Amino acid sequence: MVLKIFFPQCCNTADSGLLVGRWIPGHNSAVVLAVIHYPFIPGQVKKYLSELQSQTQVDLTVLGSWSMPKEGQEGMDSFLKDLSTIFPQECWLQLSREIGKRGFTCQVVQNNGRLLQEQKNGDDKIVLIHYDQRKVMLSQLHPVQDVGQKSDVEASELRLVFQTVAQSQPLFLLDKYDDGPLKLSHWQSEGREASIIAELLKQASVPVCIFLTWLLSLWHWLCSFRILHLRPVLFISSKLSTCVQSGYRAVHFKTVFSPKKAATHMEFMRYSTWRVAKELQELLEWLMGAPAGLKMNRALDQVLGRFFLYHIHLWISYIHLMSPFIERILWYVGLSGCLGLTFALSILSDIVALLTFHIYCFYVYGARLYCLKIYGLSSLWRLFRGKKWNVLRQRVDSCSYDLDQNTSDTALFPLQLFIGTLLFTILLFLLPTTALYYLVFTLLRLVMVLFQGVIHLSVDFINSLPLFAIGLRICRPYRLAEGVKFKVLCQEPGTPLHLMMEINPLKCSSVLQCYRTPTYSCYPKDSWAALCKKLFVGELIYPWKQKTAKTD
Amino acid sequence: MGADSGPGAPAAVPWRKVLYERQPFPDNYVDRRFLEELRRNIRVRQYRYWAVVRETGLIAQQVSCVAVFFTLWSYMEQGELVPSAVLWVCLGCALLGYGLYEILGGFCVRERTRLADLQSATIFLAFTFGFSPVLKTLTESVSTDTVHAMSAVMLLAHLVSFPYAQPSPPGSLSLNAALFGSVCLASRLPGALHTFTMLSCALLVFALWPCLLHRVRERAEWSFPWAAVLVCLAGVGGLGSLWPEGALLLSLALLTLTLVCPLLLVHLQRHKDNIHGPWDEAEIREDLSRFLN
Repeated sequence: MVLKIFFPQCCNTADSGLLVGRWIPGHNSAVVLAVIHYPFIPGQVKKYLSELQSQTQVDLTVLGSWSMPKEGQEGMDSFLKDLSTIFPQECWLQLSREIGKRGFTCQVVQNNGRLLQEQKNGDDKIVLIHYDQRKVMLSQLHPVQDVGQKSDVEASELRLVFQTVAQSQPLFLLDKYDDGPLKLSHWQSEGREASIIAELLKQASVPVCIFLTWLLSLWHWLCSFRILHLRPVLFISSKLSTCVQSGYRAVHFKTVFSPKKAATHMEFMRYSTWRVAKELQELLEWLMGAPAGLKMNRALDQVLGRFFLYHIHLWISYIHLMSPFIERILWYVGLSGCLGLTFALSILSDIVALLTFHIYCFYVYGARLYCLKIYGLSSLWRLFRGKKWNVLRQRVDSCSYDLDQNTSDTALFPLQLFIGTLLFTILLFLLPTTALYYLVFTLLRLVMVLFQGVIHLSVDFINSLPLFAIGLRICRPYRLAEGVKFKVLCQEPGTPLHLMMEINPLKCSSVLQCYRTPTYSCYPKDSWAALCKKLFVGELIYPWKQKTAKTD
Repeated sequence: MGADSGPGAPAAVPWRKVLYERQPFPDNYVDRRFLEELRRNIRVRQYRYWAVVRETGLIAQQVSCVAVFFTLWSYMEQGELVPSAVLWVCLGCALLGYGLYEILGGFCVRERTRLADLQSATIFLAFTFGFSPVLKTLTESVSTDTVHAMSAVMLLAHLVSFPYAQPSPPGSLSLNAALFGSVCLASRLPGALHTFTMLSCALLVFALWPCLLHRVRERAEWSFPWAAVLVCLAGVGGLGSLWPEGALLLSLALLTLTLVCPLLLVHLQRHKDNIHGPWDEAEIREDLSRFLN
C-alpha cells in the first residue's frame, strides 16, 4: 500500500511543530493543512481543533510532527517522539527536513508501535505530493458536483483533497504573526500580492481625465492665437509633419471630448429613408410594366401598382411630417445606449423595424391576397372535378347528382357549377400577377426578418457569454481546475518520492459549455419544410419565436 | 398432375374440396369435377345493329353541338353577328325550350319551383354581365395559339367525359371543361357584350340542351332520331359556311361514328370470351334500401 501525503509548499520552510490535517477516508492518504509551532499547550490545541471541527465539518486532527532543526534546536527529536503519546493516533507521521538537503525523511509509527521505514524493496511506500495551498483552496474541480448532493459514485481522492482544503478556510485565519495562544503556518504566512498600484489607478482615473480635458482646451486656446495664422508660420507648420500630425490628433480629441450633439446622423437618417422609398417606387414601376416577360394581366397590374404607390406616397409624407421630432428622439435614444451593447443592438433592431413598417404592410397585403387566391383555386378545382370537401371526415368525396329528393342539398345545380367555373377561370388567369407581387414583397420581408434575426442572435450571444468565467480562465487559470499533473521533484534512495502537484486548468471550450447563462433566446419556430410550405400557401410567417412566449 | 394420375391416391377415401382437412392426396390434386362450374359469356348482351345506331345518335349530336358553338363564335369574332341580336335569339330559344320542357313533363310536381328557376336565371345573368369586363381581359397577355390550344383541349375533354348513359344532369367535369373552353374563346372577342353573349350561348348549348334532349327521349322516343339528325345537319352546315373542308371532315367523322362503329361493335361481340365461376366477387343484385327504413 502506498501512503500518500499531500504537503503544502508553503510549509517547506516552516519551523518545527505539529502537523495538522486530515486523513482521507477510504484512501490511504493524508492532507497536511498547517503546522502549529512551539510553544503550545496540548489542551489548547485540542480545544482549537475541536472548535474548528464543529465550524468547518472537516475532521481535523493532528497528523504528526514536523521537524526542521535550526541552530540551537538539537534534541528536538526525542521531544517529538514523545508527542505521539499526547495525541494518540492510529498512524503518527514524523517528517523531518535537513537544511541543505532537498528530500524529507518520513517515518510512520503505527499504533502498535511498529515502525515503518522507507524501504526500496519493501511493500510499503510513501509518496509526498507537494501542492500550492492557495491555488488549491481557490480552485474548483470540474465537473462540478453539488455539495449537498448525494452522488452515487464515491468522490474521488482528488476531489476529497480539494474539498478538504477549500472547506478548511477558517483554519487559515490565525497566523503565526497573530498574538494568540497558537502560532500556525500556512499559505497566509507567505503574504499577499500587492495590489496597491491597481487601487491607485482606479482612484486616479477620473481626475486624470479632467486634467487631460483642461490641457486640451489650453492647447486649443494657444492654437487659436492670431499670430500662428500668419502666412509664414502657416506655411512652415504645414510642411512639418509633426505639426500636421499633432493637428489631426487635436481634432480627434476635440471630437471625442466635445459635449455638442452630433447633427450629421439626422441627415443620414432622412436621406436613407427617402432613398428606400425611392427604390420601392422604382420597383413598383418595374412591376407595373412587364417584368421578365411574364404574362401579367394589365388591368390588375395597374390596380395593384397604383395602390402600393399611393401607400408609399403616404409613407413619405409621414416621414416629412415627423422629421422635426425625430432628431430629439434619436438623441435620447442614443443616450440610452450606455445601458450596454445589447441594448443598443436591440434599439437598432427596433428602429429598423419601424422604418420598414411599410414593407411589412405590403407583405401582409400581398400575402393575404395570394392566400385567398390559392384557397379559392384549390376549392374550385375540386368543384371542377366534381368532388367536394367532406368537413366531417376531413377528406375529399366525389359528389354526384342525386335525383333522390332527400339529398337535394348535396347536389350541384348547373348554376352553381357555372359560377364556380367562371370564378375558377378568373382566379387562374389572375394568378401570375398576384403571385409576382407576393413574391417580391415576401423577399423584401424575408430580408428584414433575416436582418432582425442576426441582431437577435448576436444579442443572445452577448448575453449568454460568460465573461467572468473567461476572464478567470485567462487571468487566474488555477481557479477552474480540470485535473492535476504531477512532476517528480526528488527521487533519492532512502527518502520518500517527492512529487509536485500542479493544477490543470479547464479547456476554454469546456468553460463556455459549463458556464453559459440561459437567456431568452429566440430560435426559429418552423423547420425549413414547414417554412417553405407556409410561403407557398401564402400564410403569414413570423419565424422567430421567443422562448418565454406563451405556448398555445 | 391430373385427375386420374395422382401418385399414391388410394381410392378408399373420396377426395373432398376442402382446405381444412388433411387428406391423403397431394396438395394440387384435382378430380373429375374440375372446372365443372365454369360458365362462359353468361352476361353478354347481343346487340342489334340498328338499335346501336340509334344510341350513337347521342354522341353524334354532341359533337355537332360543339361544332355549332364553334361556328357561332367564329361569326361573332369576325363581326358578322351583332351581339344584341344573338342575345335576343338566345332568350327566345331558352323560353321555347323551357316551355317544351314543361309540356313534355306534363305539369307534374317538380322539385324546384318556378320562382327558384327565375332566381337562378337572374343570378346567372347578373353575375356573368358583371364579370364580363374582367373576363374579356383575362387572356389578353396570352398568345392566340395557346388560347386556341387550351380551348380545343377543353372541348375534347368535354366530349370524352360527357355522361352519355345518364345525360340529364350534365356531369360536372364535362360541363366545367366546356365552360372553361368557352370562357377562353369568349375572352378573345372584341367587346364585353360579345363575351356575355358567348357565355349565355355556351350555357344554353352545353348545360340546358342535354336536359331537354333527355326529356324528349323519355317522353317522345320517336322524335329523338329526328332531333339528332337536325342538330348534325346544323353543325355540318354551319361549319361548311366557314370552312368547306372542315364540313367534309365533320360529316365523314359523323358517318363513321354512326354507321361504322356499331358495325364493329356487333362484329367483335362474337369474339367475346368471358369466363365466370364461383371465384368471382359477390355482386349484390337486389335493392337493399328496404333495410334502411
